[in-house]
Amino acid sequence: MKIRKMKVFDKMAKTNTLLVVFAMLLLSLFIAYASDWFSIKETFSNSDFYQTIMIAPWIQYLPIIIVVIPILGAIIEVLVAKKSIDERDKSVIYMGLLTLVIVVFIYPLALDDIIRLELPNVLLLGLSFRVDMLSYSVLLLSSFIWFFVMIYAHEYMKKEEKSTRFFFFLALTYSSVLGALMSGDLLTMFLFFEIMTVVSYMLVIHGQNDSSYKAGYNYIIMGLIGGFLILTALLLVYFNVGDLHFASAIERFDELGNLKYWVMGLLVFGFGIKAGMAPVHVWLPRAHPVAPTPASALLSGVMIKVGAFGIIRGASSYFFPSKDVVTSVNDPIWLTSQNIGAFIIWTGIITMALGVFLALQQENMKKMLAYHSVSQMGYIVTGIGVALYLGYQGAMGYSGAIYHIINHALFKSLLFMIAGVIYYHTKELNMYKLGGLWKKLPFTTLVFIVAALGISGFPLFNGYVSKTIIHHGLTEAYHYGSSSFIFAEIIFIIVSAGTACSFIKMGYYTFFKKTENNYDEIPYDYSSHDIALWAMALMIILIGLSPKFIMSHLIIPQLNMTTYDPDFINHYILGLNVFAIKDILTTLGIVGLGIIIFLLGKKYHLFHLRLPKWLSIEYIFFLPAYLLMKNLCRILYGDKCPYNEDDFKKLSEDDIEKVGFIDRFIITSNVLNRRYESSIIRADAMIYTVALLFVIIFMINLL
Amino acid sequence: MNIEQLPIINLILFLFMALLIPLLKRRPFKITLILGFIVMCLVLASSSHLLWHVNEVGSFSYTFGGHEARYGIEFLLTPFSALFTWVIIILAMIIYIYSSGDATEGIEQSEYGRYYVLLFILLLSMFGILYTNDLFNTYVFIEILSITTCAIISIKKKKDTYTSAFRYVMMNEIGSLSYLFGVALIYMATGYTNISMVSESIQVAFASYPFNIVIALAFMVIGLGIKAAIFPFHIWLPDAHSSAPSTSSAILSAIVIKVYLLVLVKILFSVFGIDILEQMNMPLILLILSGTAMILGSIFAIAQKDVKRMLGYSSVAQVGYILLGISLLSFLGLRAAFFHIISHGLMKTALFLSVGEIIFYKKTRKVNDFDGMGFIMPVAMGVFSIAALGMIGLPLTSGFISKLNLGIAVLENNYLVFLVILIISSLLNVIYYLPIIILAFLRNEKYHYRMTTIEKTPRTMITPLILLGILIVSLGLFPNVIMPYIEAAVETFIS
Repeated sequence: MKIRKMKVFDKMAKTNTLLVVFAMLLLSLFIAYASDWFSIKETFSNSDFYQTIMIAPWIQYLPIIIVVIPILGAIIEVLVAKKSIDERDKSVIYMGLLTLVIVVFIYPLALDDIIRLELPNVLLLGLSFRVDMLSYSVLLLSSFIWFFVMIYAHEYMKKEEKSTRFFFFLALTYSSVLGALMSGDLLTMFLFFEIMTVVSYMLVIHGQNDSSYKAGYNYIIMGLIGGFLILTALLLVYFNVGDLHFASAIERFDELGNLKYWVMGLLVFGFGIKAGMAPVHVWLPRAHPVAPTPASALLSGVMIKVGAFGIIRGASSYFFPSKDVVTSVNDPIWLTSQNIGAFIIWTGIITMALGVFLALQQENMKKMLAYHSVSQMGYIVTGIGVALYLGYQGAMGYSGAIYHIINHALFKSLLFMIAGVIYYHTKELNMYKLGGLWKKLPFTTLVFIVAALGISGFPLFNGYVSKTIIHHGLTEAYHYGSSSFIFAEIIFIIVSAGTACSFIKMGYYTFFKKTENNYDEIPYDYSSHDIALWAMALMIILIGLSPKFIMSHLIIPQLNMTTYDPDFINHYILGLNVFAIKDILTTLGIVGLGIIIFLLGKKYHLFHLRLPKWLSIEYIFFLPAYLLMKNLCRILYGDKCPYNEDDFKKLSEDDIEKVGFIDRFIITSNVLNRRYESSIIRADAMIYTVALLFVIIFMINLL
Repeated sequence: MNIEQLPIINLILFLFMALLIPLLKRRPFKITLILGFIVMCLVLASSSHLLWHVNEVGSFSYTFGGHEARYGIEFLLTPFSALFTWVIIILAMIIYIYSSGDATEGIEQSEYGRYYVLLFILLLSMFGILYTNDLFNTYVFIEILSITTCAIISIKKKKDTYTSAFRYVMMNEIGSLSYLFGVALIYMATGYTNISMVSESIQVAFASYPFNIVIALAFMVIGLGIKAAIFPFHIWLPDAHSSAPSTSSAILSAIVIKVYLLVLVKILFSVFGIDILEQMNMPLILLILSGTAMILGSIFAIAQKDVKRMLGYSSVAQVGYILLGISLLSFLGLRAAFFHIISHGLMKTALFLSVGEIIFYKKTRKVNDFDGMGFIMPVAMGVFSIAALGMIGLPLTSGFISKLNLGIAVLENNYLVFLVILIISSLLNVIYYLPIIILAFLRNEKYHYRMTTIEKTPRTMITPLILLGILIVSLGLFPNVIMPYIEAAVETFIS
């Protein structure tokens, strides 16, 4: 094969490469500082500079600064966009870089947990910010991914319309994500969460066609429902505890009986909607594929993690006893979190199984990836469940969940970006219509292999580490807890095999299958796409090769902060060796099983099986409501029912993709309105008399 | 000048202006507008001073003509009346500025003067209702208020306007008479019409004439319920809104209805007192009314095709929120109700005025015609969106603070059902407000070209809209600025 000459069309490719190299240097500086190479940590933390910073008053305002930078970036971006597109992209990228730099440099402050900001009097109950290690680890991850996606988006959005609007709302979303991560109480979190829902809606409907409107409507309605659930939980917490700060409230909750389960249920489902947890995941597989690729990468990579983050935050603060009270796992105070944990584990297991099952049926690459997001969120939710279920000794589940949040963010954004590159060049997302791309896009193929190995949990790649940890957690759950979790473990293994199979399938059909298409129009070039992809792939490999780093410098500080058994942490988490022979063999077995499923599926065309539409979760869930709405008019006035033919046809539609729940509700309310509005208005005197009579009777009767 | 005369001077200023307008008929209309604005500024200054005085120094009363309060008319300045007159004058000023930008659509040029006469008499009666400490005097002002409201609704010379105005006047007359009947029964049982004196002797009267009191309460609640558009009695409201000019709708929905609710608060808390209300099961009745209003008002709103009718039904639902706060009969509940009166006043004014601008220029009021409106009228639609998001109850708007307050108040009484109703009602709000925003800003960009063809909106119409937007957001961000005043107002009733 002769070596072709590589072209560079992208004017900013060179500067972008330098910026990414700079980001990588930052990362290595971070690694060097965290693992105390050349004892820089010690030198730095003893230096006068650091000591003065520690007491400087402006340090408290860092969260505000970090939140405001993207907003300013958004405004500057809109102003600059009138002059030139390249300048605009530069402003977007530098905004990401600036945030990244600040976030990297606050590591020592986060480690000491000194960034706390209280803003009383704002929003009635007051806002507060706090950067501890839990928020910091997600913060660091988000800022890195956001920066790389910005570099990628610069190239990708050239082919999309209205990119200025897109970048504007992307920046606002970034600001709200950062705010939600740094929040110190539930109200602040709720505030940024709602802002995130609203502004990211603009990203979902960016395509402005029918499918994106439909997906977007679904997205925002479910997002707002989630918001209202959190609001209810917030009210319950505020009223019963009197304080919304993320601090232990379990002793107060224990006096309230079953109300505590309601609070946690509301929190889990409220945040779970955003996190794509089954059965409230339905918006995710619709919304993520229709958004432009950079947005899907960020939606799947970062935003749904904020949902998982919310669950962890709420559960590990409100529902954990405070550190100085508890000494053993047998304390009855753990009972609540145990019950909730068992429930969450099963939700997580169902989520992962459902996600992978539906993912295997998809032919649209982005849709498949979106279903995998659901499935992978299932892993995270399971991890959270274990963290709660085992109470004092749940550190393994907790670290698994956090670790998987980090890993999934990396490989899922990378995979979406790869799908985006393919779409950018071929305008095709259906994987069965593609093939043979490895010749034309060799870099992308390589990166895809890295990401696929990551998500399938192959040893030496990042997914392996976190999946193994969650697996350990599940094993502990059935050792120390109920033995029914052995089934959970079995499902876990099958799902992992399904994941592997799914990506073998995607790789085979898009990159390696023989096809007649030559794809001559694909240029052999070097662009900002490739830089961003390589940077992310590098991070995946780095984590896979040295899993200890994240564990000891990001996760262990969190574990020490949370109410977990210090002995357990020292013994099991610090001494954890993920490369044990048993684990590697299990993983290899899982991958082997995946290959077998793939071969069987390909031979017997199992991937083309479709479930009937009425079997979808949404339909089954709303079935009683649908039947009621369809027959309401018949029930109310027999044959004289004033339905239009059209309305009735829409109400009897089986396909929920065509007529959703809200549409049906609106039609029903129209019918009710047609029937009752004027008759109520005409019955004025009647209503007056009857109401008066009833009020008097009511009052006298009970005198 | 004595501070005690300030309330009366407020009323006299309004009356003076209302009388002056017909005299200025020959002069350019601008002079009337400027004079009216000056009067409003003066009233705002004196109301602000009264608000400060009442909160810092203390409440005071003023009796007309030196008669004893028992026979004469007494004006009572409490933090409650001072706060709400202040709120009313601010909202009225915003609406006034807007309407001077000739957005009083559908009104003939020659009727302008009459419109402003009505506006000032309306303000006079509302101030009177809030200041007075006399049940019968309240009735007099209520009558003035309902007749002027009727006139301001029917100011457009159209046939459907007259039918809806007629329905309005009939329903409101029933309401007023019910109220009067209640006053008569109370007078019969206690021998007073002065509120403070009635409240002192009502316990004794209740013991000797329980039926009088029961029937009086029932008639008064239903009568004021009709006027405040509480759910089954809201029947006059949607028609009145859809036919009246937008500024009139704004006044009606944002101010007039609220004044009747405030009278209801006065009657319930000052005249009857919590003890009697609880014995008569009043909280439960009000709770049922408010719950149905919150849900059914929104459901009817969903089905409306006419945007102003939709906003009218939304008001019905929002009155339910306020009534919920009142019916809890607690400090927190009343605080939530008062806050929501203010925040809903701002949001509804913003909604009606922005819709008014759209109707004025595009001559359409169908919800489905709003596509692409965000590009044609970015300011109007932007403010509409802020207010609509406030109605939904998103944080950073005053609507969220209302919901937070109301939620806490509901929890204090342990009515979890009403927390659920609150959430469901918010969701229903989402269903009818959100599609309009989406339609306006994202659908159908073929209207882009109209940006150049459209007449430039007068600055007098844009400024009040922007002001309202800013007020909604800042009240959402810093509610604690106004909270002390609201709490002081609540303490007039519940200590």
